[in-house]
Amino acid sequence: MTADNDFGRFGSGHSVRRIEDPALITGRGRYVDDFAPEGLLHLVFVRSPMAHARIGSIDLAAALATPGVVAAFTGRDLVAAGVKPFAGPPPIFKRPDGTPPPPPDRHALAPEVVRFVGEAVAAVIATSADAARAGRDAVMVDYQELPAVGSVAAALADGAPQVWSGAPGNVVAETRYGNREAADQAFAAAAHVVSLDLDNQRLAPASIEPRSVLASFDPADGRTTLRMSSQMPSGARNTIADQLGLTKDQVRVLVGDVGGGFGMKTGAYPEDVAVAFVARQMRASVKWIAERSEEFLTAVHGRGLRSQADLALNAEGRVLALRVRTQANIGAHPAPTGCAIPLLIGPWITTSIYDIGTIDLHIQAVLTNTTPLGAYRGAGRPEAVYVIERLMSAAALKTGIDPIELRRRNMVRPEQMPYKNAMGQVYDTGNFPSIMAQGVDLADWNGFEARAKASREQGRLRGRGIATFLEWTGGNVLDDRVTVNVTADGFIEIFTATQAMGQGIATTYAQLAVDSFGIPLERIRIIQGDTDRGEGFGSAGSRSLFTAGSALQAAAVKVLDIARQKAADALEAPASDLEYEAGRFRVAGTDLQISLFDVAAREASGSIFLESVTKVDGPSWPNGCHICEVEVDPDTGEVAIDRYASVNDVGRVVNPMIVLGQVDGGAVQGIGQALCEQLVYDEQAQLVTASFLDYAMPRAGIVKRFETRLDQSVPCKANPLGVKGVGELGTIGATPAVVNAVVDALARSGLGERATAIQMPLTSERVWRALQGPSA
Amino acid sequence: MPTVRLTVNGQQVEREVEPRRLLVDFLRLDLGLTGTHVGCDTSQCGACTVLLDGQAIKACAMLAVQAHGATVKTIEGLAATDGTLHPLQQAFMDCHGLQCGFCTPGMIMASASLLAANPQPDEAAIEKALEGNLCRCTGYANIVQAVRQAATSGAGR
Repeated sequence: MTADNDFGRFGSGHSVRRIEDPALITGRGRYVDDFAPEGLLHLVFVRSPMAHARIGSIDLAAALATPGVVAAFTGRDLVAAGVKPFAGPPPIFKRPDGTPPPPPDRHALAPEVVRFVGEAVAAVIATSADAARAGRDAVMVDYQELPAVGSVAAALADGAPQVWSGAPGNVVAETRYGNREAADQAFAAAAHVVSLDLDNQRLAPASIEPRSVLASFDPADGRTTLRMSSQMPSGARNTIADQLGLTKDQVRVLVGDVGGGFGMKTGAYPEDVAVAFVARQMRASVKWIAERSEEFLTAVHGRGLRSQADLALNAEGRVLALRVRTQANIGAHPAPTGCAIPLLIGPWITTSIYDIGTIDLHIQAVLTNTTPLGAYRGAGRPEAVYVIERLMSAAALKTGIDPIELRRRNMVRPEQMPYKNAMGQVYDTGNFPSIMAQGVDLADWNGFEARAKASREQGRLRGRGIATFLEWTGGNVLDDRVTVNVTADGFIEIFTATQAMGQGIATTYAQLAVDSFGIPLERIRIIQGDTDRGEGFGSAGSRSLFTAGSALQAAAVKVLDIARQKAADALEAPASDLEYEAGRFRVAGTDLQISLFDVAAREASGSIFLESVTKVDGPSWPNGCHICEVEVDPDTGEVAIDRYASVNDVGRVVNPMIVLGQVDGGAVQGIGQALCEQLVYDEQAQLVTASFLDYAMPRAGIVKRFETRLDQSVPCKANPLGVKGVGELGTIGATPAVVNAVVDALARSGLGERATAIQMPLTSERVWRALQGPSA
Repeated sequence: MPTVRLTVNGQQVEREVEPRRLLVDFLRLDLGLTGTHVGCDTSQCGACTVLLDGQAIKACAMLAVQAHGATVKTIEGLAATDGTLHPLQQAFMDCHGLQCGFCTPGMIMASASLLAANPQPDEAAIEKALEGNLCRCTGYANIVQAVRQAATSGAGR
C-alpha cells in the first residue's frame, strides 16, 4: 500500500502521507538522547549480578575518585531522603487464602534486597557517560547471595525459596472465574475432550529506541522537567511526583519522538524516579539512556505464562465448556499491570468470538526471581487467544471436523449482538462468520491441496493455520482531553494527552481535523507529549483513536459553535443564518463572509481556545481472521512463511495505509513469538538472552508480502467515529495462525495429534526434533 | 589526544578526540549529527549505519580515529543541498516504510549502500543487505518495497 499522490487536503479515508515522516527520514527526529543541555550530567546504574541477594555494604569511594564522577547514590540514600516505594498489585486481587496482597517492596534503587538480575542498587553520576561507566565499574557492592527461583516450577516446589516476604509459597494473587461444577458436568458428558499444555514464553518488547530519561531541575521555580520516551506522560509524572513527595505541578513530563513503545513504555520505571531524584539533588540536568542489555534485564517482559487448557465438545463439534489452569510468571515484583494482565485482562476475552457459556478458569500469579512482567503489545489478549485458537484447531484435528466449519458452528452470530460473554464483557458489534468467510477467500484456503502437492514434490511439508479472534481495547479509560486553538496566523493547533510512538496517530488526528474544519492538512498542527498542556491516560491498549479521536471531533463541533457566534457578531448577522464551509463562515445567500482565522484575529488573545473532555460509551472490539501457510524443510526443521492473509474489522478506517502498517507490523511481532523470540533464564535465574545476539528478532524477509484487507462494514457503536482499536490486532492473530500452520504441517507429515505438543518458539531445532518422533 | 580529519556530509571536519571515541559518538556528540542512532551497543541493530567511503558500516563498531581521512555520509547529508529528498527517503515515506523512525536512518543508509553497488537488486538481495538492520514496527515488507521503488526511480545510478 503506498500513499495517495495528492495528499494535501484529504481527510479521513485516504492514505495520506504521514506528517511525522519528513523529520524522521532526514535525521531531524527528536528523541530524548538527542537533547544535551548545558552542563548535562550522565547517570548510569549499578545493577545486581545476582538474582536474589541481601545488600551488605556499598563502597562508593573508588567510584567517587574516578575522574569525571561527581556523585553517587545508593538505595539507602534514597530511602533516607524519603523516596517512597512503588505500588503493588491492586487490592481487588487476593492471595490464595483470601487475604489482600501485602504492601510493596520495590524501590527506585533497591535498599536492602535485590530480587532479580539487573535490579539497580546504586547510581553513579559523571560529566560524561564514559566517566559514569568507569565509576560504575569501581563501585564495590557486598552481596550476600540468597537462593533464587528462575521458573514457576521452581517457585512452586515444596520448600522453594521465598521471593517476597509477603507472599509465602510465591503465589502473590489468584483469580477464579466461571462455574467449576457446571464445567465438570459438561466435560463428563462431552463426546470429545481436547487437552493442551501451552507455554506462552516470555518476550522482550524490544523497541529499537531504549528507554531514555533526561531530568532537569530549575532552581528558579523548583520544578523538575523530564524528557522521556513514554506512552503515558501523565501517569509517569504522577508516579514520579508521588514517590518523590512532590505535588503534580512540581513535575513536568515532555515527550518528543518515541522510538517504539509496544506497551513497554507505559507508567514510570524505577530508573525514571531515580533520575528525577538525582536531578533535584544535584540541581542540574541528568540523563540516563538504557543500554540494550539493561533493556533486556529491566524493561518489562511480556507474556510468560503456561496454561493447561481443556475443551469439551459434543458430537457435532459444539463447545460445551472451556477449562483453563494458568500459572503466570510475573517476575520478582508484582506490578499492578503485571498482575492485571494474566489475572483479569486475558480472562475477559477467554472465549473470544465463540459462544461458550460455561467456563472454569483458575489463574495464579507466581513470583520468581526474574524481571517483572508488564504490558507488551496485546497484554493478555494474545495469551488468551493463543489458548482458544490452539484448542479449536486441535479440536478440529481430533474430531475430523473441518477447522473452518468447527469455528463457524461455535461463533457468536451477528444477530446475537450486543453479546455478553461468559466473563460479562459486552461486545457491541461484530460479524465474525463474514470476516472468516472473507479470510478463507482471500487466503485461497481451498487451493491449499494443490500447493501442498507442489511442496511435497520439492520435498517440503506444507501446513495451513487459521486464527479467528477478537480483542478488547481501550484500557477501560474511556474519556480523553483535547484542546483546540485556532490562531490568527492561520493554524489550528490540537493538543491531545494521548501519545505518538510511531503509530501515526498525529496524521490520523490531522485527517479528522480536516474532516471537521474543512481546511487543508498543512494548516493543522498536532501537539502531544506535555503534561503542562493537559493530562490524560495516554496511549495504550489501542485506545487513542477511538477515545481521543472522538474527543477531537466533539471539540471541533464546540469550537465551530463558538466561532459561529463570534462570526455572526463580526458580520452583524444572526448566527443561524451562517453557513460554514472550508474554513469560512458565510451569510447564506450572500457573499458576506469571514474566515475562521479572521474570527480568531478579532479576539483579544488572537486565538479561539477550547479545552474539552469527552467520554465514549464503551470499549471497541476489533476482530479478524488471520490465515498463514508455511513450508517446513524436513531435513532442517526450518519454517518459512509462504502466504499470510488477513481480514480485519477495525470499524471505520481513517488512514488505510497506516492501519495496514499497524496490522502487518503487529503481525510480525506475533510471528516473532511463534517462530524465534524467547527470553531464557537458567536455574540460577540468570537471563541468558540479554542481547540481540541471543534474542532472535524477526529480520527482513520473514514475510515477503501480506494480503491484508480491512472490512469497514461493521462500525463500532460505542463511539461517534465508528472506529475500533487497531494497534494490537495483528500481534494477537499472528501467533496462533502461524503455530496452527506448523502444527498442521507436522500433523499431515504423520505425527497426527502428537503434533500439538510442540511449544513456541518453533525454532528449526524444535520442529526437527518433533519430526524425529518422541525419542529425539 | 589524537586529531582526526575527515569529510562528513561534504564538509571537512577536524577534531581532537579520545582514542576510544566511537565514530557514532563522534557524529552525535562532537558534530551534533543526531540523526544517526544507537539502539543496541553490540552491533546487531544497525540503527547507527552510515556510509564510510560509500559503504554501509555500523558506526558503533568503529573508532573515530579509524575514520581518519575517510568520507562519511549520514542521513543528514543524503538529501540534495536544495532539500530535494533522496529517492530512498521519498520511497520510505511513500511506501510507509517507517513508523517510529528510530531504525529508519540506518535502514536508509544500508539501502543506499546496496543500491550504489547493485542498482537493481531483487527482493532476496534487499533482504540480504538489510539483515543487519532491525525494525520492530513495520514488519519489513514495506521497507523492502521502498527499496525496490527507489531502485526503480534510479536511486542507484
